[in-house]
Amino acid sequence: MSRMTYAQIEQTVLNTLSPAPLKYWAVVALALLGLLIGALCWAYQIGVGIGVGGQNIPVAWGTYLINFVFWVGIAHSGTLISAILYLFRAGWRNPIARAAETMTVFAVCIAGLFPFIHLGRVWMVYYMLPYPNERTLWPNFQSPLVFDMVAISTYLTVSSLFWYTGMLPDLAIVRDRATGLRKSIFRVISLGWTGRYEQWRHYTRAYLFFAALATPLVISVHSVVSWDFALGIIPGWHSTLFAPYFVAGAIHSGLAMVLTLMIPLRRIFQYKAIITEDILDNIAKTIIFTGLIVGYAYMVEYFLAWYSHNIVEQESFRWRAFGHYSLEFWIMVICNSVVPLLFFIRKVRRSIPWLFGVSILINIGMWYERFVIIVGGVAHDFMPHAWGEYSPSFIEYGILLGSFSMFFFLFLLFVKHLPSISMTELKEGVRQGGGHGH
Amino acid sequence: MATEKRVMSLFEDETRAASAIEALRKFPWKLEEVHSPIPSDKISQALKRKKSRVGYFTLAGGIIGFLSGVGLAIYTGIQWNLVVSGKPVVALIPFLIVGFEFTILFAVFGNVLGLLVQTNLPEFQSLHLYDQRCSGEHFGILASCTPGQENDLMAFFREQGGEARLI
Repeated sequence: MSRMTYAQIEQTVLNTLSPAPLKYWAVVALALLGLLIGALCWAYQIGVGIGVGGQNIPVAWGTYLINFVFWVGIAHSGTLISAILYLFRAGWRNPIARAAETMTVFAVCIAGLFPFIHLGRVWMVYYMLPYPNERTLWPNFQSPLVFDMVAISTYLTVSSLFWYTGMLPDLAIVRDRATGLRKSIFRVISLGWTGRYEQWRHYTRAYLFFAALATPLVISVHSVVSWDFALGIIPGWHSTLFAPYFVAGAIHSGLAMVLTLMIPLRRIFQYKAIITEDILDNIAKTIIFTGLIVGYAYMVEYFLAWYSHNIVEQESFRWRAFGHYSLEFWIMVICNSVVPLLFFIRKVRRSIPWLFGVSILINIGMWYERFVIIVGGVAHDFMPHAWGEYSPSFIEYGILLGSFSMFFFLFLLFVKHLPSISMTELKEGVRQGGGHGH
Repeated sequence: MATEKRVMSLFEDETRAASAIEALRKFPWKLEEVHSPIPSDKISQALKRKKSRVGYFTLAGGIIGFLSGVGLAIYTGIQWNLVVSGKPVVALIPFLIVGFEFTILFAVFGNVLGLLVQTNLPEFQSLHLYDQRCSGEHFGILASCTPGQENDLMAFFREQGGEARLI
């Protein structure tokens, strides 16, 4: 990448905005179809009632909460790559930061839908808002669910602003090279950016503050999500380990999703000179690190159960590994903490099919991790007479399909209509190896 | 002055652009604007401007956010004056979490506001004083002079290694 000129960088990225072939629109239509299936399932649930899902007593939180935590987790890596690696001056983030940030914004949007879906009577959502009302009824700010609402809405707002602000100079590049309607649109959305020194002077400072603020935010958001569980007294949930465990898991799944998205992107859009094997190699190395943390957390959970001498806790964890959901448990362990160890082998890290395959397995494993935690905890808690089982209904699978389809639908639209790689940061990287203002 | 003449000069190399900015100071011409495709330390040093004050907006936003978050949680707690799970109605530790999230949210609002105010964005009027190549690979210097000196100014820029044209 370092041998590319400014003009080559621009040309490569702007080429992706050229009119799309029919194949692209066919894939977009397919994703839209999946999205519509999900929307229809949700509409059916609104019409008939929440009972069309598989949730029951004791498993009141099924796939809707699993999907919520999964998508929030996916969202984390975007900010990790964008903000944390920016602060660490890791130049290899530049080619993938924009796509990762976009992934964050879309994933948080989708995650934010699931509490609405889970609510059943979605029109009552305004009860969550703190506003004066005749019943003097207010949200309880001591509840982790309200922390969650505040944290997720903050994360969505901050990620979106970070994403848009980071894109301003690139929007101006597109404006300057476009014609007709596209030029008019980009003229407005680039806010009249001209790269004046005064603009750069304030922009680089503001970008640094963005990164510095987003870094603690990303850690707090998934900690807050973990407290939805850890502040309850359910065996398997009530643990101080949950916050770091969830943050590491979120970054683990997010990095895997970055690989899942980047590998087809670099092939389809001829980004091989920009998203190099070295960059994918670096992501794989980071996945080893997060995978080891996640594996360590799995082991510590068992240690804590044993060390506590709490028979309920011990039974909960025995059942997790050998009970009704043991298959899901072992999928989780193998996919999240054993499979990533393959990345210790350099040949695997440099092999695109292997990278892609492992990333898919981690995505699957991380979805099952949330299944094991959310379903496994309440299905087998204190009282044997209250134990129960859960399996998702057809409607829940439809909504799950809809969420993935929506994610890919939005991402596909993004890569063809906005610069999917930060041209400005790549130009800076050519010169000095850093991001904005390094 | 409405009668001033403006000259736009373009450089392919940021070092030459920076030295042209420094050399321009020795003449009575006025440096109006510098455009660049990337933030440039060399140009920054040549212009000798102070650090941005965006951070004050960010800080103010953060303070307002913290007070708003904790204040909202305390206010609603007092309004719904009911002990839940034996916890105090005004419980500071959980409210600090709300305060933290609001701090970040409002600090970012302050940051964006500061950026918009300081850079005067959105602003579309000065696009005609801008060469589109400056978003590509050129560094542009816009300077003005009194009528009759424009040829000297253009010659100066050409001597510095740039191309120049009258706007």
